Amino acid sequence: MTCEEVRAELVECWGSTEQLTTAATEHLAVCEHCRYEARILRGTSVMLHSLPSESAPEGFTAGVLQQIARQQGQTGWAARLGQWFVPAHQPSWTRAAAVGTAIALAVAGGSMWAGRGSLPEGTQQYAGSASGTIAVSTPAATEAELDDLMRRHQALQMTQPLADDPGVNLVVYTTK
Amino acid sequence: MAKARQLSQQDIEELVERARRGDGAAFGQLVDEYKDKIYNYVSRMLNDPYEAEDVTQEAFLRAYRSLPRFRGASSFHTWLYRIASNLAIDVVRKRKRQEPTYSLDEPMESDDGEYEREIPDDSGSPEDKSTTRETRVAVRRAIMELPEKLRDVMILYELQGETYEDIAEILNVPLGTVKSRLFNARNRLKDSLEQLVAAGELEVES
Repeated sequence: MTCEEVRAELVECWGSTEQLTTAATEHLAVCEHCRYEARILRGTSVMLHSLPSESAPEGFTAGVLQQIARQQGQTGWAARLGQWFVPAHQPSWTRAAAVGTAIALAVAGGSMWAGRGSLPEGTQQYAGSASGTIAVSTPAATEAELDDLMRRHQALQMTQPLADDPGVNLVVYTTK
Repeated sequence: MAKARQLSQQDIEELVERARRGDGAAFGQLVDEYKDKIYNYVSRMLNDPYEAEDVTQEAFLRAYRSLPRFRGASSFHTWLYRIASNLAIDVVRKRKRQEPTYSLDEPMESDDGEYEREIPDDSGSPEDKSTTRETRVAVRRAIMELPEKLRDVMILYELQGETYEDIAEILNVPLGTVKSRLFNARNRLKDSLEQLVAAGELEVES
């Protein structure tokens, strides 16, 4: 085999000598240049595959859904939740986890309402706070339920994202 | 490699069908399922986290708008990848027209000030971090130096784990073209990193 043929095989398998044909293997045994090529290819493969995966930023899904709502000129649940849970001063790409959480719960088929005192029947506590509660149930939220959420959100004087506010905490209840 | 979540193919198909009928919640689940995979792909193509986010978001917005026309001739994920690929390639070509000497190293400018293209690595000792960072910068540079058609195939196959067949569908090229581009991409990448090894900037394990 020629060096060119062997190197073509080496490229196909990223320099792994275990996957070479017998002829290529015999060539490598006597060809220092091709052995060097194999080494470079193996190292290249290691470096390439060591690149870490990158994840979409926090709140990405919520941002997409808000954009859809905005472009459709709607004031549906996506836009309303984004409006109320995302402080205006925050750059769009650094939306707090709260938006993602709220939207994620909504898109999972949940509706949300807030109430004080005892939990609505059929709900369970997801997280607790003395300041207020949110209950989640199915099916998807109606506008009336969201209006109620907004009023209670104001009543709780929420000004911080759900996960970050140390004082008044919105918490979420899920149905069993 | 960018991880996919746990939805089965049947789940995906059901969500797509619901989303086609206007179910926003279903589309939201599709976004959740694919956002990391698409973002990772676009980020590798563009080497800019902010631009990658914008392009990834636009890919999903276009997918949503185009859903009524999606008939299932291809899988949803190859269809989504195709949208993202076209958008990323558009950005690459726009950059070429606007900045013939596009720099891989200079900080980017934004309204909030400058930011580095490189995403910081918080793992390991300072020495490890330095070596790892140098390696990653070198590999990213080598990827970015590939012509976009070779870069696309390399990223889809080597970093996204897509099959030859899916890549052919995504890029709308014959299978042989995919293999040929991947071969050429590997050779070029190897040549780029070989020069750095020869200059003593990187070490290659034997």
